[in-house]
Amino acid sequence: MRRFEDVAVGEDLPSLVRVVTREDVKAYADAGGDQNALHQDDAVAREAGFPGVIAHGMLTMGHMAACVVSWCGDPASITGLSAQFRAPVLVGETIVAGGRVSEVDPLTRTAILETWVTLERDGRTHQAVRKGVAVVRFP
Amino acid sequence: MYPDAEGIEYPPVEFAVAPSRVRAFAGVFGQADGVPPTFPAVAEFTVLPEVFGDARLGLDFSRVVHGTQDYVYERPIREGEDLMIHARIEAVRVRAGIGFLTVVIELREPGGALVVTARSTLIERAADA
Repeated sequence: MRRFEDVAVGEDLPSLVRVVTREDVKAYADAGGDQNALHQDDAVAREAGFPGVIAHGMLTMGHMAACVVSWCGDPASITGLSAQFRAPVLVGETIVAGGRVSEVDPLTRTAILETWVTLERDGRTHQAVRKGVAVVRFP
Repeated sequence: MYPDAEGIEYPPVEFAVAPSRVRAFAGVFGQADGVPPTFPAVAEFTVLPEVFGDARLGLDFSRVVHGTQDYVYERPIREGEDLMIHARIEAVRVRAGIGFLTVVIELREPGGALVVTARSTLIERAADA
């Protein structure tokens, strides 16, 4: 468990890397209850304009949350989390979640983090999540 | 989408935070302890099929993508507790053929105390020209 006293503005969170497999996407559909065919059927995904099945945005956001949880050590200390979804994540791609401490408030023992999820495609970095925010309140 | 749908509230639905569901969800993210921050998505998807299929909304689900997602936690969700899901349509906007739907889902204790507010913006992409 991380201590509030050790948190400083500008601190980078360790990146969390994940290869998103078709099995991961199916596992998320089953655990999260979102059985939209866009995430399981290549033909449906192509009809919607994607090259193939895409991951749930919530799988990507859950990975971003996992990055914050690994850093602070306790999911119960997260009091706010938000994400803007941009680039869709295709099956087989590698996503990297990261973040940085942007504010700390000693009065409420709260840290505000900028967070993001990126991926590399065609030699370019794409943002799967941009303008992510996490609010962490320390005991 | 129909802007008149703004303000629609759905009847509350029971949601059991079953430890088996929490562990299955946490397993996807390799989280060994506690309730993952995005676990309320399970509650959201308990009611979203009803919302998406609501004729008063006129949503073409085949063109919908997830735009933004926001959670505010009043307190941590506890494994094994029973909560109520309260869903409402907060906003419907259509600009240049693109629809923006904001759905708010609150998880509340049976007595009414707020636990989590989940706010989703869904984008209905323009129909092919």
